[in-house]
Amino acid sequence: MAMAGALGSFDPIFTTATITTSHGLAIYDTLFSLDSKFMPQPQMVGKWGLSDDKRTYTFELRDGLRWHDSSVVTAADCVASIHRWGQVDAGGMMLLERAKHISKKDEKSFTIELKEPLGVLPDVLASISGSTLFVMREKDANRPATEQVTANIGSGPFRFNEDLAKPGASFTYDRNEQYVPRKESADGLAGGKVVNIDRVVWDQIADQQTALAALQAGEIDFFEQPPADLLPLLKNDPNIELELLDKTGSAMCLRMNCLQKPFDNVKARQAILHLIDQEAFLRVVTPDPNYAHAVTSIFGNDTPYSNGENTGWYKKGGDPEKAKQLLKEAGYAGEKVVILQPTDIALTSNAMQLLANMLRKIGINAELAPSDWGALTARRRNKGPVEEGGWSMFMSSWSDYYLGEPIGTSLHVMNGEKGWYGWPKNDDYEALRKQWPDVSTVEDRKALARKMQKIYWEVVPTVLLGEYTAPIARRKTLTGLIGFPNLQPMWKMKKA
Amino acid sequence: MAAYVLRRSFSAIAVMAMVGIFVFLLLRLAPGDPAAIIAGDTATPAMVAGIREKLGLNEPLPIQFFQWALSVLSGDFGTSIFTQRPVLELIVQRLEPTLSLSILTMMLSVSVGVSFGIFAAWRTGGIVDRLLAVFSALGYSVPAFVVGYFLIYFFAIRTDWLPVQGYEQIDRGLEPWFVHLILPTIALSLAYGAFIARITRASMLEVLSEDYVRTAAAKGASSSAMLFHHALKNAGVPILTVIGISFAYMIGGVVITETVFNIPGVGRLVVNAISNRDYPIIQGVLILTSGLYVVINLMVDLAYTLVDPRIRY
Repeated sequence: MAMAGALGSFDPIFTTATITTSHGLAIYDTLFSLDSKFMPQPQMVGKWGLSDDKRTYTFELRDGLRWHDSSVVTAADCVASIHRWGQVDAGGMMLLERAKHISKKDEKSFTIELKEPLGVLPDVLASISGSTLFVMREKDANRPATEQVTANIGSGPFRFNEDLAKPGASFTYDRNEQYVPRKESADGLAGGKVVNIDRVVWDQIADQQTALAALQAGEIDFFEQPPADLLPLLKNDPNIELELLDKTGSAMCLRMNCLQKPFDNVKARQAILHLIDQEAFLRVVTPDPNYAHAVTSIFGNDTPYSNGENTGWYKKGGDPEKAKQLLKEAGYAGEKVVILQPTDIALTSNAMQLLANMLRKIGINAELAPSDWGALTARRRNKGPVEEGGWSMFMSSWSDYYLGEPIGTSLHVMNGEKGWYGWPKNDDYEALRKQWPDVSTVEDRKALARKMQKIYWEVVPTVLLGEYTAPIARRKTLTGLIGFPNLQPMWKMKKA
Repeated sequence: MAAYVLRRSFSAIAVMAMVGIFVFLLLRLAPGDPAAIIAGDTATPAMVAGIREKLGLNEPLPIQFFQWALSVLSGDFGTSIFTQRPVLELIVQRLEPTLSLSILTMMLSVSVGVSFGIFAAWRTGGIVDRLLAVFSALGYSVPAFVVGYFLIYFFAIRTDWLPVQGYEQIDRGLEPWFVHLILPTIALSLAYGAFIARITRASMLEVLSEDYVRTAAAKGASSSAMLFHHALKNAGVPILTVIGISFAYMIGGVVITETVFNIPGVGRLVVNAISNRDYPIIQGVLILTSGLYVVINLMVDLAYTLVDPRIRY
């Protein structure tokens, strides 16, 4: 399997890198998992219950859970894992803040006693929006979250084969013969993790053309992210199938620096919202319209909370005249707008070139700042003006799942300088967002999502440039793959 | 000779030290933050700050430098920020593919390039000489990755004779090791072979016009004796220099070929480390390759004495 990204760090709590989370999915297990509708379902947990006062959750582990070193998974392992995850994950932090005690009851059971009811607790435990709560051995989980776990020992459906690990080239995962899957059929990340393949090898093929050739020659069975310009070639190959596993897609999100001119002025940010021609961006990203969609909800196109509240700004082709007018109202006086352009990520780099062009057309003094992604991640930390190495705009892609999860998703936070890059601040919005964990029904959350979105598109900390999906390419002999945003589970699939 | 080797060894240490200081400062002054890359795109600034603290990246630069320099002096090149594996172990793992590719490429380039060059010089203006001109033009002008893609298409996809990509360690069998290296070796040898052939031809042409070669011919020396005994020995110094430089360059410079054929060598290790700002790896690779450069140059210098007895150290 040619996976996207290079597996460098193996600790999925230490880093939120997607490839490491996929590695985590293979070798670790989770207390709860999300199904294909992003609803939490018990995974390691067998039985669970909530006290009448809705403050104490009791979880009992299901039978047969063992670590890869053959020792039994205990409640103490789970408690330690929750504490480690709670050091870094936004949902986990909230849980630790609200918990009175998280303690082991017996070898198989533990309780979470809360100071006040928390309706979304199972959702938080199943979330993959920040760090995923992978359960680790107690001795591993006792390490601080800022220190990497060195052993790759989990209780998941695959074992990491250390002997065959070739950093920079390939990593091998063997079926965990001891693993006892749940009885339910696989659904998203939830259900029975039945492994039908003895061994899976992740090849780290840096060059996409080479990965394509390897797929055509039958050296690999799966190519996670074939580039859009190679798709026609793959479509014509009788041995290869293009399959849209993750149907939800990823939104291109343009983040603006709310601390510095000109985007410290809400009118200037609204100008960009009205200016953007999403179809133009989507044409840049993928030539095939089947894989490109406009998006207007900050909760994405395909989540339970997607909605049309306050989306009157959307106009096919954008509205440059309205943008010019708003820019004038903002008192824009030709300040330099620096757009961070990661030249090593073709999709974003191309989109940023188009953006610079659009901005210049309405009289904005836009300047591209090309660098690699590594330099971009450092520069975007700078809160200062562009003259002092700061920035005005950068783009980041967020999958629909993340957009539908406002507790852990940094993009949804508006708490000022403590928050994610761009540092927007709006107390009314934050007050609404903080209600989210206490809302227990989906319908109530939908209503809350509409209220949040109304403010979001008034404040405009982010502008959406469109949403794209991307098919995987596989040999026709490989079937049964599970589709899930960003991640690639390896159970259920079969090779003829 | 021993004094010369000793002197050069000391200069190697000095070069490595200077490279170390330069690379350390360059990396710290260049934009980029390994903590932000490790944490991932969706991580909060607080999470990034925690990792920076843990990695010691908030320490003053001189302290970071002295900590690193002390561990290097004790033979410890540090631990990769990302994989948490010792840098030396990672480099050693990647050295085998790079050395295998480099040695095979040099063997092919030297054998083809030197033979071609000698023959072209011997029969100037003849068919071989003209072919060499075409071969050189192709070797210089067609990038190795284009040659690589062509080779993959014809020999791996169309005919299925050879694998597209990957590397097999030599201890898992000579045949799979060799089979995986055939295409990358050919792709890389085109440029190096052309270069060596041109230098050989030029050196041989110069020597073949010398009086002593004409004298040897007049005395009835056979063509082979004249070419190999009289001419090649005297033309050997520039050829050896080019071979040495090419080999040293290859150790750290075959990253494109390694990428196209998915060979996990030193070049790719360092390129990935640069993307990730994995400072200990970059520093370790550059120090060791600079040392290797000096050693190869020393070996080339010593080899001069074998082809030209007039050279003494």
